[in-house]
Amino acid sequence: MSTKRSPLIFNVLAECATSKARTGKMILPHGEVNTPVFMPVGTQGTLKGLLTEQLEKLDLQIMLSNTYHLGIKPGVEVLKKAGGLHKFMNWNRCLLTDSGGFQMVSLLKLAEITEDGVKFESLNDQKSEIVLTPEHSIEIQNTIGADIIMQLDDVVKTTSPDNARIEEAMFRTTRWLDRCLMAHKRNDDQNIFPIVQGTLNKELRTASAKAHMERDVRGFAIGGLSGGESKDDFWRMVHLSTNILPKNKPRYLMGVGFAVDLVVCCALGVDMFDCVFPTRTARFGCALVMTGQLNLKQKTYKLDLNPIDKECDCSTCQTYTRAYLHQIATIHPVSCHLLTVHNVAFQLRLMKNIRDNIVANTYPQFVQNFMYNLYPNQNYPTWVVDSLAAVNIKLLSI
Amino acid sequence: MKFIVEGITKCAPRLGVLKEIERHPNITLETPMAMLYTRGGSIPHITNEVFKLITTKSQIIQIPLVSTYNFEDVMTHYNGTIAEFVGMKECISCMTVQDPGDYTQPGHHVQDLIPLWTRHGKVLLNAKLYMILVELFKPDMYYFLSDGDTNIASPTKRVNKAVQNTVKYYKECIEIHKNSKILKNSFAMGVIAGGYNLKARKDCMDVVCKIDSIGGYLIDGLHNNGPEVEFLCAEEIKPVVEYIVENLHHTKLKAIHGCWNPVTILQLIKLGIDLFDTSYCHIVTERSCALTFSLDLSNTEEAFELNLRQSQFADDFRPILPGCACLTCVKYSRGYIHHLVTVQELLGPLLLTIHNVHHYTKFFETIRECIRNDTLRILEETITKQFNLYQNGVKEKRDEDEELNSTEVVRDEVNRTNEDNVQIPLVPTC
Repeated sequence: MSTKRSPLIFNVLAECATSKARTGKMILPHGEVNTPVFMPVGTQGTLKGLLTEQLEKLDLQIMLSNTYHLGIKPGVEVLKKAGGLHKFMNWNRCLLTDSGGFQMVSLLKLAEITEDGVKFESLNDQKSEIVLTPEHSIEIQNTIGADIIMQLDDVVKTTSPDNARIEEAMFRTTRWLDRCLMAHKRNDDQNIFPIVQGTLNKELRTASAKAHMERDVRGFAIGGLSGGESKDDFWRMVHLSTNILPKNKPRYLMGVGFAVDLVVCCALGVDMFDCVFPTRTARFGCALVMTGQLNLKQKTYKLDLNPIDKECDCSTCQTYTRAYLHQIATIHPVSCHLLTVHNVAFQLRLMKNIRDNIVANTYPQFVQNFMYNLYPNQNYPTWVVDSLAAVNIKLLSI
Repeated sequence: MKFIVEGITKCAPRLGVLKEIERHPNITLETPMAMLYTRGGSIPHITNEVFKLITTKSQIIQIPLVSTYNFEDVMTHYNGTIAEFVGMKECISCMTVQDPGDYTQPGHHVQDLIPLWTRHGKVLLNAKLYMILVELFKPDMYYFLSDGDTNIASPTKRVNKAVQNTVKYYKECIEIHKNSKILKNSFAMGVIAGGYNLKARKDCMDVVCKIDSIGGYLIDGLHNNGPEVEFLCAEEIKPVVEYIVENLHHTKLKAIHGCWNPVTILQLIKLGIDLFDTSYCHIVTERSCALTFSLDLSNTEEAFELNLRQSQFADDFRPILPGCACLTCVKYSRGYIHHLVTVQELLGPLLLTIHNVHHYTKFFETIRECIRNDTLRILEETITKQFNLYQNGVKEKRDEDEELNSTEVVRDEVNRTNEDNVQIPLVPTC
């Protein structure tokens, strides 16, 4: 018998000659993923009101689900009986699950972190208490069966002033990584990504990245960012991490999804992103466009018979006007579905543009035009100017 | 648009076709049928993209003015029709005044104006204001303005006023319709008001049925819309509906709206009603239920309705209704839908709507087939039997619950609302 194919094959297909941007193809058990990729978040085994048929039509290749939520409902037993999340939700393409660690930050008041793991008080069910250990997180993720699964990490808010706690969390994250790798039962068809921690501390982040690179893993995540820190700190940490991480493995920046951030972080050499923003903002009646977002509840759209975006070929823009969306936004669930379709299509189109420009070796010009359109008065934020300058892209000043 | 009906017996089930629709010359619709209920111009939870994924033969969308009134300003700027504006240009549109899926607040009449309870408050309509909106919306079909604010308990004074208003609106609407270039291709239908008072109904018909150019009639004023209509029993409405149908010309299209349960629908079809709507599917979906009553005359094993919130479905990976060809049943399981509705994800009601509308449309297909084969009586027996079994089950469960609750001192409200205990309406047996 021939040796089994690796559950993750990553090939860099083109690199930007100026910046650190690169485009590649990642082959996972449930299909191919073109990178850089944005992964929309389907927290509870569903992408916010869209049928999987619609997601395939959008050419979505991978989405994210949350271990914490799925572990509570439908629960491991049901997922096991269903034969994993892919079958349960009727999605045959790639999935990534987080570890439940991030929920620590958001639910910290209800959680207690020890060396053993995290003790949660479930939000949905008043009585039960859940202890999430690295082993338990992997067990749940093994049952869910996503193509990429995340190690349980000890997340500290980037704004935390407690250096001892930051250091403890960084080292603990590596210890937990080893426990996750030990507990992992499906190494042939699921890939664990370690998470580089260390908040905004250069030394700690470097140590974290290096320690994780010593483990036998197929990709890396950069975690603990996008949590309220300044953008100046944020990009420096991303830049530092991608400088250290190996070029031949995918790098996943967790929790990032604003268009500007995506364009900058691709230039910094990131391959994968996820964020709830595009789908969440849709439910508040907002549609993404290259120049920002339209709040369709605003009166200015009442008589606007244009589609959200003339350039967009999503089913919403092909069929509906801003004026109609204005009438139904935040009132009827149909409006959530329509705006979610558009916003996911927007993110995917942006990523395709990024990939195409990297292949054509025109990424610096793409970035310049993108930023110029977004800031026509050239009042570029300092962090954007600085971060791009760090990878040799100078913004236009006319 | 033309309506052609087979058979000449009054107060009997009948087959018909709607065809030669000006904007949709290739569409022929068979009656009895249910038009697709919309709210704010969209079938609840269903976008145009999803609509195209689910094949449904019923292609009239019902546009209640009460949930689309706010489109007035934009429609004055928009050249297209209401169906185009709401992104459903492949459908025939039918404009109605009130929303059959939502309770219409009674009273609040101001002289001879009709109150319309929109999201932005009360709007008062008369025939002239109404017809301006109809001209803006350019529907393929519409009903004249009517006063349908009557029910079985309405006093004579209210009933007579409803007839007086409806007759007045009728005269004004038909004048405007005749002179309107925009509406020359719209199929206008008169409205018979008058509650449960046969004399009042006659007074209304004496005026409304005089002119032969009207293509059909809506029997209005039987109820105040909303989920309560499901509980109305056929025996109560039968005398008045029968009386009206007997006195209407048999060649005309006859419509009754509201969330009638399938057993009542069958009774109305037996009286010769042609046109209904799918608002019943909406209220069933809203209570996280799926319609599963048998459409196969030889099979009565399925329950009438499944409540997908019940924990028994958590690890049930069968489709809602085995053998059903809808997208939901082909691709998704009861267990998944149970998960979605218990965690309140948007996809839950979407999948339920797909199934419920599909099943309800199939129900009407079956009805037509049964009329054709003269087997409607068997269908009626099958469904009535299932319905009564289901209602008895619900009643027993409720009685048990009540007994339990009366002995229980403290009740966990959170758990109650979470699972299992969603109230299933009980239809009174008459």
